[in-house]
Amino acid sequence: MSIRKRQSISDIIDEYFEDMEKWAEQVRETLSERPCWDLKTCAIEPLREITVTPTEVIVTVDLPYAKKETVQVKVVNATSLEIFAEMKKKIRLTELGVTHRKGVIQRFHGWIRIPVTVNIDKMRVQNKKGILEIKLPRKR
Amino acid sequence: MSEEVKIVEKKKIPTGATLLFAFPDVGLVGVIAASHLIDELGLTEVAYLDSNLLPPLIVLHEGLPHSSIRIFAGQDTLLAVSEVPIPTDVIYPIMDALINWGKSKNVKMMISLSGIPIQDRQDVTELKSFAAASNAEALKTAQEKGLEILTEGYMVGPQAVVLQRAAEAGSPALTLLAQCFYNYPDPEAAAEVLKELAKITGLKVNVAKLLEKGEEIRLRARDVMKRTQQEMSKMKKSQEYDIPMYVS
Repeated sequence: MSIRKRQSISDIIDEYFEDMEKWAEQVRETLSERPCWDLKTCAIEPLREITVTPTEVIVTVDLPYAKKETVQVKVVNATSLEIFAEMKKKIRLTELGVTHRKGVIQRFHGWIRIPVTVNIDKMRVQNKKGILEIKLPRKR
Repeated sequence: MSEEVKIVEKKKIPTGATLLFAFPDVGLVGVIAASHLIDELGLTEVAYLDSNLLPPLIVLHEGLPHSSIRIFAGQDTLLAVSEVPIPTDVIYPIMDALINWGKSKNVKMMISLSGIPIQDRQDVTELKSFAAASNAEALKTAQEKGLEILTEGYMVGPQAVVLQRAAEAGSPALTLLAQCFYNYPDPEAAAEVLKELAKITGLKVNVAKLLEKGEEIRLRARDVMKRTQQEMSKMKKSQEYDIPMYVS
């Protein structure tokens, strides 16, 4: 019979959050096991990062080769954004080293889920060096 | 050398060279820099790492299989590089094998090429670089060559093992770190780290082409970056952001 060491509440909470983090990581990995490109829509999913600060949510999206004037951020609902951008030129998959499929990539398309409640109407967007930055103030 | 990890030599290996390490990490700084070095200096593959600790993965190039961790050589330079992130739980045995192999070739110094993530990187136009050393001698060399020293902080990943093992052995080793994006491929940071490398080794390469192809590199490196993000998360790479608390 194993004897479980008595833990403090904070230890139990820490352990719970660690388990949750591991589970979330596993789910993320499972969901990401698919190509980043979709030949039907000629789109590639951009890399993105979400940072939650006490006052705002900062989303950045890496959009290399994107035509600045075509970058669009569409508000889907209170917690989701959709990103589009056309590329400066069509890129054949072979140019990216994918030789077993034929097709072209000509746009970025991605979805972003905002993890906390925000004032989506007060969204601020800027594009610097091909990095799209979206700032969303948190709801108080 | 561990029996689970072996270095297979394909060609004669120069002795007394500088051994560079470049593994997928923040901003893929080391890997992008290594790829540029291989192209510009015409480095050739001289050895590769074989291990059943690694996932069953090969890299196909011109229809032929290659190990994901390979060693390239040129005059006075050896470069160990990986196209795929090393799984966190095997970093120690893999790095130990590479370091011991380097010692057997009497390398004069080991240098890791990497990055140090900064917030709001997109707002920064002039990137700074830092060096960390394995011992006082290597630290002095870096200072004399005009490199800024990373005096306090945490280092996580293969480059941490290189400094740790070199410090234990009293061997000179450096880690060169250019400010970079955490999660996005950063060719500009790779160019910066190559400039710092030139100060230490005299290995000068033209980085204009690297900067010119920056957007293309960012696009091509997208999937390696994504895989690297997953591995960095496992190894708690974000600890490098932490406020250091050195207990003295």
